[in-house]
Amino acid sequence: MNRFFEWLLNLDRRWIYLLVAVSLITPIVVPIGLPVSTTASTRRAFEVIEALQPGDVVWLSFDYGPSSTPENDPMADAFLRQCFLKKLRVIVTALYPLGGLGLANNSLARVTAEFPGLRYGEDYVNLGYKDGAAAVMRSLGESISKAFPADQSGRPLADLPMMRGVQNIHQVKLVFTAATNLIGEYWITQAHAQFGTPVVIGPTAVSAPKYYAYLNAGQLAGMLGGMKGAAEYEKLLREKYPQLDQYYAQTRRFTATKGMDGQTVLHTIILIFIVLGNVAYLRTRGRRRREPA
Amino acid sequence: MNLDFSRVALMVFFFVIPVIGIVLGQNSPALRGRIPLVVAFIAGIIPIIALYVPKSFLSGPEGMSTRLDQWLIIVAGFALLLGVVNVLQNSSRKIARKDSGWIYSAVLLTGLLLTGSFGIWGAISGHGIGFMPDGSSTPFKWVEDRIFQPLQSTIFSLLAFFMASAAFRAFRARNTEATILLVAAGLVMAGRVPLLEFLAAPFPPLQPAAAAGSRFLGGLTEWIMDNPNGAAQSGIIIGAALGAASMAMRIILGIERGYLGLGAGEQT
Amino acid sequence: MSPTFPGIGIWVSALLTLFAFSFVYKDNPFFRFAESLFAGVSLGYYVGIVLNQTLMPNLITPLTHDFASNWDLIGAGLVGILLFMRYAPRIGWTARYALAIYVAYYIGLEFTRRIHGEVLPQLSRTIQPLFPWTSTTFASLVFVVGVYSVLVYFFFSKEQNAVTRRIARVGIWFLMISFGAGFGFTVMGRIALLLGRLNFLIQDWIYPALGI
Repeated sequence: MNRFFEWLLNLDRRWIYLLVAVSLITPIVVPIGLPVSTTASTRRAFEVIEALQPGDVVWLSFDYGPSSTPENDPMADAFLRQCFLKKLRVIVTALYPLGGLGLANNSLARVTAEFPGLRYGEDYVNLGYKDGAAAVMRSLGESISKAFPADQSGRPLADLPMMRGVQNIHQVKLVFTAATNLIGEYWITQAHAQFGTPVVIGPTAVSAPKYYAYLNAGQLAGMLGGMKGAAEYEKLLREKYPQLDQYYAQTRRFTATKGMDGQTVLHTIILIFIVLGNVAYLRTRGRRRREPA
Repeated sequence: MNLDFSRVALMVFFFVIPVIGIVLGQNSPALRGRIPLVVAFIAGIIPIIALYVPKSFLSGPEGMSTRLDQWLIIVAGFALLLGVVNVLQNSSRKIARKDSGWIYSAVLLTGLLLTGSFGIWGAISGHGIGFMPDGSSTPFKWVEDRIFQPLQSTIFSLLAFFMASAAFRAFRARNTEATILLVAAGLVMAGRVPLLEFLAAPFPPLQPAAAAGSRFLGGLTEWIMDNPNGAAQSGIIIGAALGAASMAMRIILGIERGYLGLGAGEQT
Repeated sequence: MSPTFPGIGIWVSALLTLFAFSFVYKDNPFFRFAESLFAGVSLGYYVGIVLNQTLMPNLITPLTHDFASNWDLIGAGLVGILLFMRYAPRIGWTARYALAIYVAYYIGLEFTRRIHGEVLPQLSRTIQPLFPWTSTTFASLVFVVGVYSVLVYFFFSKEQNAVTRRIARVGIWFLMISFGAGFGFTVMGRIALLLGRLNFLIQDWIYPALGI
């Protein structure tokens, strides 16, 4: 038995890599369809958005890059779907320099294709990317056009019908930030602290634990923590909107719900790794102690 | 020409004074460190005072602080490009000397110049860097979607392999603290996914118990995240924020000067 | 409806993805090629977005379209250009002015952000009434004990005595629970990234190439 544990501890790490790959590929090729349970933070986020009225203006900020698309893309897409179904008007921006703009463009292209009746400039606008996130947020308190004089393609804000009635952040009912690290925090600690605008955050799982402190302190209206949070949000949307239930059931695109199968399989395997690794360590440590020097 | 107070004041503080400082600093190394500290103080104190002093010349729609925000959005853009110059210099030097691995520097420069050119073309032509009017991608967007995004996603995704290997090799219950960390990690990992339902999937009679167990684990996970984790994170946030705020004051007041890179004859 | 055969863009993405994945076997020229290309394209990306999304709409267009109202932005542009003087050997010190403005301004924002956005709200969350005792009071007590003990642990300005050492120990336990929970979340986050790439290779490249 000890020889087995010695062999285990000295296993070439590339076998572990192979096991990781196989355990994630299998549920992609053969979906399992495991259930998703919701948590309070996601339900709060969903309910606060559901409470908004048609015509209300919301702000969606793409504050993440390609390094976290499987977690944040589903959140942003789901938020856009909920907004368009509720006839909310959406201002889209990107404040993350390394890829946020492209992801914003792609997400809008994907979701607006599902809603043919939408009109750019009236139902939604894409103001693009801007440097200096903290300075941008300060500017928004006074005037959106001081930070964003034009939309993503260079069209002046005055030419966009939707923006004529929206001078500054005080006319925005909610900010949703799909974020990796600092910029999401800025929305909470700067924009919300200074202007009182409710903020819902969709952080990556790596940074989600920190945001529980903000959630508890009432600085956040809701939170979708990582891919699990995105899957919970998709579930709530499917329960509320039957047309989305159909979409999520049939789409070939990657969704957070589909991703949870692979998450579950690999979590199980990693937990087994940790247990085995500790058992092996304790057994071999015990044997090394007993052996004469 | 709009000569309101905020515009003129900003030009005086952040253009005229630096120009005077540069001229004087040519002959007096000691001033090369002093005058930037004055400029730093003004740049740092304006946004702070504007928050507490509701005077229109400072924090109004055309106030100094509001205008300064617009200035610094522009300066932040230039700052983001600083690294480009550094890399251009280093890579060119490596290629010219044919140092080891110079071919990869050539690949780097090719990627940089090609993507940068597409970006410049987008700005000059007016087509931008997103979608063209007919819905097709601009060259910049094609590179972004087909090269940049896949590469960044994949390089970061390699961490999953290393993390799994590290969990097996390094995650050990060596002492009390490590055991607490291990147990918390195990509970959260088990509570965030339908692990018990997955294990019970081949055994239908066990599924109701598995579902109940999952609900319990999920609730326990949420309690851990809200309370012990929330408390620790709150403590970290408070401590770090106080430290950062005091460092901010030190920089604005000129006590902390390391960021200026002052030389031997320039220390004040 | 069967998917169409993947176009050249998908093939390029898939091959670069495989080049990058090859690193898990061992370091090799394909991975180094992908890594170098990524570094170069990232920097070129910065050039594109800064020029198109910040410098054009916020600096160049206002100066060219309405100079009378925006003449002062020349100062902002010059401060930005001054940052690059650090690369000039003899006049590199002049970049200090631009650096001073840039660093000090954002530090000023940081100061107000930290106090109003972090310290004050977090402290007010921590100060909770213990009476009347309700179902959430125990959780609040755990929270208060946790925050206080963690702050005691991080207080390094004075040597710890027997009492503070014990309190700091409790703080360490809270930190360990938090870091363990954080590890659990991190595992999910890292797996998600790999899932996304494997899903792309299978659903967007292999399946369409095979007509599935």
